[in-house]
Amino acid sequence: MTAQAQPISHAHEGHHPDPREHLMLDPKPRGEMNAMVMEAMHATSWKFWVVAAFLGLVVLICLFGAWGYMIMEGLGVAGVNRPSYWGIFLVNTVFWIGISHAGTFVSALLRVFKAEFRRPFTRAAELMTTFGLVQAGMSIFMHMGRVWLSYWMFPFPNQRQLWTNFHSPLMWDFLAINTYLLASTMYLFLPLIPDLAMARDRSTGWRKALYRILALGFRGTEGEWTHLRHALGIFAFAILPVMFSVHTIVSWDFAVAMRPGWNSTIFGPYFVIGALHSGIAAVAMVLIVVRATMKNMKYFIRPEHFDALGKLMLIVSMAWAYFFFNDYMVQWYGGDKWTDALLHFHEAGPLGWMWFGMLICNVAIPWLTLWNKKVRTTPGLLFTIGLLINVGMWFERYIIVPISLTINRMPFTWREYVPGIEVPLGIGTLAFFILLYMIASKLVPLVPVWEVQEGQMAHSLRKFGKETVVTVSDLE
Amino acid sequence: MAENTIKIPEFKAEWKEGEAGRWGMVIDTDLCTGCQACVAACAMENNIPFVGETDAAYGRSMHWLRVERFWEGEYPEVRTTDFQPVLCQQCGAAPCEPVCPVFASVHSQAEQINLQVYNRCVGTRYCANNCPYQVRVFNWRDWERPEPLNNQLNPDVTVRRRGIMEKCTFCIQRIHKAEDQAKAEGREVADGEVIPACAQVCPADAIVFGRLDDPESRVSQLAKSKRGVQLLEELGTQPRVTYLKGA
Amino acid sequence: MPDTTTLLAVFPDLDPAARALDELRTLGIPEEQMNVIAGIPVTEAMLGRPRQWSNVPRLALGGALAGFGVGLFLAVGTPLMYPVYVGGQPLIPVPPSIVVVFEMTMLVMLIATFVGVFLDSAYPSYRPKHYVPEISDGKIGILFHCPAGETQKFTQALIKLGAETVQPAEAQPL
Repeated sequence: MTAQAQPISHAHEGHHPDPREHLMLDPKPRGEMNAMVMEAMHATSWKFWVVAAFLGLVVLICLFGAWGYMIMEGLGVAGVNRPSYWGIFLVNTVFWIGISHAGTFVSALLRVFKAEFRRPFTRAAELMTTFGLVQAGMSIFMHMGRVWLSYWMFPFPNQRQLWTNFHSPLMWDFLAINTYLLASTMYLFLPLIPDLAMARDRSTGWRKALYRILALGFRGTEGEWTHLRHALGIFAFAILPVMFSVHTIVSWDFAVAMRPGWNSTIFGPYFVIGALHSGIAAVAMVLIVVRATMKNMKYFIRPEHFDALGKLMLIVSMAWAYFFFNDYMVQWYGGDKWTDALLHFHEAGPLGWMWFGMLICNVAIPWLTLWNKKVRTTPGLLFTIGLLINVGMWFERYIIVPISLTINRMPFTWREYVPGIEVPLGIGTLAFFILLYMIASKLVPLVPVWEVQEGQMAHSLRKFGKETVVTVSDLE
Repeated sequence: MAENTIKIPEFKAEWKEGEAGRWGMVIDTDLCTGCQACVAACAMENNIPFVGETDAAYGRSMHWLRVERFWEGEYPEVRTTDFQPVLCQQCGAAPCEPVCPVFASVHSQAEQINLQVYNRCVGTRYCANNCPYQVRVFNWRDWERPEPLNNQLNPDVTVRRRGIMEKCTFCIQRIHKAEDQAKAEGREVADGEVIPACAQVCPADAIVFGRLDDPESRVSQLAKSKRGVQLLEELGTQPRVTYLKGA
Repeated sequence: MPDTTTLLAVFPDLDPAARALDELRTLGIPEEQMNVIAGIPVTEAMLGRPRQWSNVPRLALGGALAGFGVGLFLAVGTPLMYPVYVGGQPLIPVPPSIVVVFEMTMLVMLIATFVGVFLDSAYPSYRPKHYVPEISDGKIGILFHCPAGETQKFTQALIKLGAETVQPAEAQPL
């Protein structure tokens, strides 16, 4: 049998993807997009109200009810003890700050590097930053023994003639989280102004009054756009170091402490990448839910976006594994008696399954699935993977906080931590996050229409020989 | 011994390596019988609440002083082991102090001990995490003081409420009383004049308290003993408590 | 200005708007008598307009300097005013001070940027303004002052260039 030489066939031959699969190449008139976004905001089915009412009830009971009870009774109703002085409250704080990082990552880092796929969901991600930080702040307040005196952490001249202690990582935390919360809220609001003006122009009744106030009298003159562009440029660059500093400082809460397992120099970047790991997965989850439940969102949020986010999740998962291994290797090799004990406790202790679960959810599952474009573009699968990554990242924080606290240099005090009222309170923060997001999705244009239009203007098709290629021009 | 010729400027720390401090304690674990009298006396003196069985079993007992007991070997070949009373080591470079955001845990310049200012505490519990000796205790609840225990409260010591951190103070109320007395009489505090509650009740005289800055005092002499060790000395926290162990 | 009228011409797209601006220039309207209102950030270069001046970067810089000062005050000034010694650390520790100064610099800088947008754009202003809601539908509006009595001439010229409507601008509540 002789092998017949085959001409090398081009991979793309016979397969011409429709360029209109891309949002940027499937433009619609601005008026139509405005109407779609407004309809998504207005159209509210009874299911929305049922879910919102249920979440409201959960928030009322699990968050405010349980919290009030805990304030009256003291932290004894929670599971914290000696030596696990920090429990799920701090786990949730780190977790929610992690979630909040994705918003900035999407809207600032991707804006700086002009990653075009970001355009339709920068706002959806930024809302997560603000609302995630709200939950993180509440988790810290829950954790405090005397929350009613938390304002003592504010550096202000007072009758006690006492300023705050700037040696304390918690003080840096306080400054950094406040800076981040304010900055991300302002960064959420600035690009929202033109969309609020858009909403003002096509609303009536109480909505008109609301948007009129919020839009501040924006018309879109050359001057207004120029100031806005300058400000957004400054914010996009300046909020990134703030974002990195926030989670680095959160990691320092642990890393500067004199404890086996915590005292690690790599905790800063390890925490930052961990934050992005859970955060980007959460962005994907939120987008999948928004796309499935809100009207007209299938136009704005497409498989291409899930594809891009899936790739990001895979890369970040690899980076997380790298930092995790770095930390583990050094701790393992160091041979310190207490660190050794702690590592054994992590892996073979009563919660060893959590340690392995963390590795499976954070590394094995993303690596085994996300290389496949089919998986990345199937919303259901991507949602499941995102959920598992978030579970894995929550495990990671649980291992770092209460499990690591169980082991210290005084073996007489070793004692396991059993969560108490932290569980309903944690569920309450989750419900509150979802509830805030649902309310915002009905009050705020979830898609930055002007950014999408700008992107569609910048994109065009260009022919290189026989191949048609998407090109982007830089409008700014 | 070879002379160390490298001079390291001590630019970071306010304290100096090997600095004695002002007040100190020596605990002779060879004398300790583990009778727990010190624990009870400490609780009486310092208005420490009793937390009940459930919370105590869950690691919430509030004793400022605990007697640790270690087993060595497998049953039935268990060696009779030492009792080790552990209390706040009043570190010269205390890890608990810098981490408090509201200056509730500060260093007393006058007494050279570590203070906990109850009224400033907001309950972040960072100090307790950062304490390598795990001697800080937290008021997890407002514990009940059933009749007639409320009549037993020591008027010289603040009664703490829920949500704040506390720890051994070296019975600072007794230190101040003795200092005031000495000042009124125009003299220095004599050795043995200040006795914290735990030392006062120790039947074996295993706990000795006094001034470390007086080289002639009993505690200074004992601290120089060859049997002297400090807990977790390698961490450089400069503890003011010395344990005597192994004759 | 009693002898001028303000006209608002609405164009469906960028190209006719750019041509209309050229036409207005040839008809003798100075640049500062024209303004472009758009629903997307149309850059000056696209329409051949002079560069807009913005104080926002300068205000941001000023904010950064002010924040640096605030940070220094907190990290260095407050311990000097009320010295409290902790953990054998120096009264003014250098590495933690860097953290405090950094956070305060960024905070005040970003607040100044935000406030800068408000100052430069005179937000909030709820007075009635020359505006039509179609602009947020992607239309380009050109607002210009022309000599009173010549409105007919300008209207016709702009309609010829593709203007959808040219009307005397009415200040309307937004």
